[in-house]
Amino acid sequence: MSTRPRSLLPIWLLGLSALVLLTLGQVAIGSTGRSTWAEALQAVGGVLGWGDPLPGADQAIHELRLWRALCASLAGAALAISGVYLQGLFRNPLAAPGVLGVSAGATLGATLAILLVGGYGPELLLEGTRSWTPYALSFCSFLGAVATVALVLSIARGPGRSDAATLILVGVAVNATLGGIFVAIQALVLDDWAVAQAMLAWNFGTLRDREPYHVGMILVGLIPALLVIPRAAFALDLFAGGDTDARRLGVSTRSMRWMVVAVASGATACAVSAVGAIGFIGLVVPHITRSLVGSGHARLLPASALLGALLLPTLDLLQLGLMGRAVLPPGALTALLGGPFFLFILLTQTRERSW
Amino acid sequence: MVDQGSSGAPRVHARDLTFAYEPTTPVLGGVSLDLNGGEMLFVLGANGSGKTTLLHLLSGGLKPNSGSVQLAGQAAELLAPRELARRMAVVPQSLDGVSGVHVLRFVMGGRYAHVPTWGSPGAEDEAAVQEALEQADASQFQDRMMGQLSSGQRQRVLLARALAQKAPTLLLDEPTNALDPEHQVAVLDLIQRQAQSGTAVLVVTHDLNLTSQYASRVLLLAEGQVAAEGSPEEVLRPEILTPVYGSRLWFGAFPDSGRPIVLPRGR
Repeated sequence: MSTRPRSLLPIWLLGLSALVLLTLGQVAIGSTGRSTWAEALQAVGGVLGWGDPLPGADQAIHELRLWRALCASLAGAALAISGVYLQGLFRNPLAAPGVLGVSAGATLGATLAILLVGGYGPELLLEGTRSWTPYALSFCSFLGAVATVALVLSIARGPGRSDAATLILVGVAVNATLGGIFVAIQALVLDDWAVAQAMLAWNFGTLRDREPYHVGMILVGLIPALLVIPRAAFALDLFAGGDTDARRLGVSTRSMRWMVVAVASGATACAVSAVGAIGFIGLVVPHITRSLVGSGHARLLPASALLGALLLPTLDLLQLGLMGRAVLPPGALTALLGGPFFLFILLTQTRERSW
Repeated sequence: MVDQGSSGAPRVHARDLTFAYEPTTPVLGGVSLDLNGGEMLFVLGANGSGKTTLLHLLSGGLKPNSGSVQLAGQAAELLAPRELARRMAVVPQSLDGVSGVHVLRFVMGGRYAHVPTWGSPGAEDEAAVQEALEQADASQFQDRMMGQLSSGQRQRVLLARALAQKAPTLLLDEPTNALDPEHQVAVLDLIQRQAQSGTAVLVVTHDLNLTSQYASRVLLLAEGQVAAEGSPEEVLRPEILTPVYGSRLWFGAFPDSGRPIVLPRGR
């Protein structure tokens, strides 16, 4: 029967194999040169304790590339799945993690931390800063994200203002305000090159100099978002007809909304606090996935996570292949792809409405 | 056949419901009604008389300012949405935002309250969906998207979803509005069969002549109050309808059954 989706197992196996290959590819190819598949495998084995690591600095270089690769794919998955959650909840195909102000809040949190704690440098860290500063930076970024979501929700939750459109409008207003504060701070510190560059890194994301704790940070947000899929998928399907309709069918709309907002903003906040704000993945990937597997959330949520995990490493490898080194921050890569795609969505959407 | 239920309480027992969107302009000013299993209660009233608001209050979509709704003896406001959905299915007048949804998946939405919270629909749910689609004469469009249906087809799919809910109480908001005459009677025949098998049915409508033929009881709302209640013969009379709908009405009777006919009269 056609409600029973035909088995997607082959596609899943294909996707996961592609992910493993991409990761190995990112370990083998870096800005500092290329190594063989065997070397890449040996380096990964060394990390996992399955044999001897590569000699000397070689192992360290490959490990750095591995953390970069894992951050890219896990952050991509987290941002993509957040996008699906929020789009489903707000019945708006243009809703993305950025809408609730999650990304802007996380960026501002990090910016303030860069100013106050002093955890800045060539990318995000200055040599000579204390050992706990990177953690403080991530934590402030996370706090900024959570505080912003709380602010947006509390404004939008006033009497008679609980509908999805209001929430998105409040998100837009808060985003604009935070963006203004961010630019103001940037303008004030423009003289200090290192500080300004560190802030820029947060605004467009960075995959340089990632460490295992960055990977762990992303997982803290991604795992809950994956775990609640069986609880949320069917209910999100029913939000398509609006909150009242979903409630009449038996959805506890209020608690479902809180749960979905919590896991989606948690996943985004963790990702942003590890690699900075990387836009458009949460917007673009859900749309591509929807055209591939349909709009049923039971398939859409996990498939988007997988596709999100594939996208950023692919773009990263592409620029390494084309330019020889990773010049562009990931946010610039996704924006170059996402901007035109945004227009494409707007154009095709009008056509759908005229059915 | 009127089923009082094991508790002896009516399926829906509403007392003195009042509601106002703005304090100065009350929409409902103390409406009471009982709905029992096996009966078809038709709610009539002019535009703005509070019919749809009443339906929202009964189904928990709005909270009354005062008054109470009990479902089989239990306060409706204390029931979790899932429990409420197992007791009462609502067919909305229309639904926005679902044009990109597959008909089959849309009707499956009626099974949400029956699927375990961490589970997904099983064979039993798929069987219920197929049965509901057949009952509503909508099986033939199950592989289409909602946006590809005509308004009449859409109405039947909305009905199918409510039937898949398998709730003992069914509320319908103007279910025949978008339908041609043949499908109007087809849908009401189907709803009548549900009532005959014990479902409590409440229909909000403007159609006086379908009310005349199908209602077991009629409730007439005027300015947020119950203006009349009784059998179609008792309510669909000139002295009762004229104050509500004005004087430009023509009254007659079906030759075979003698049930009233009420038509708008042009100049």
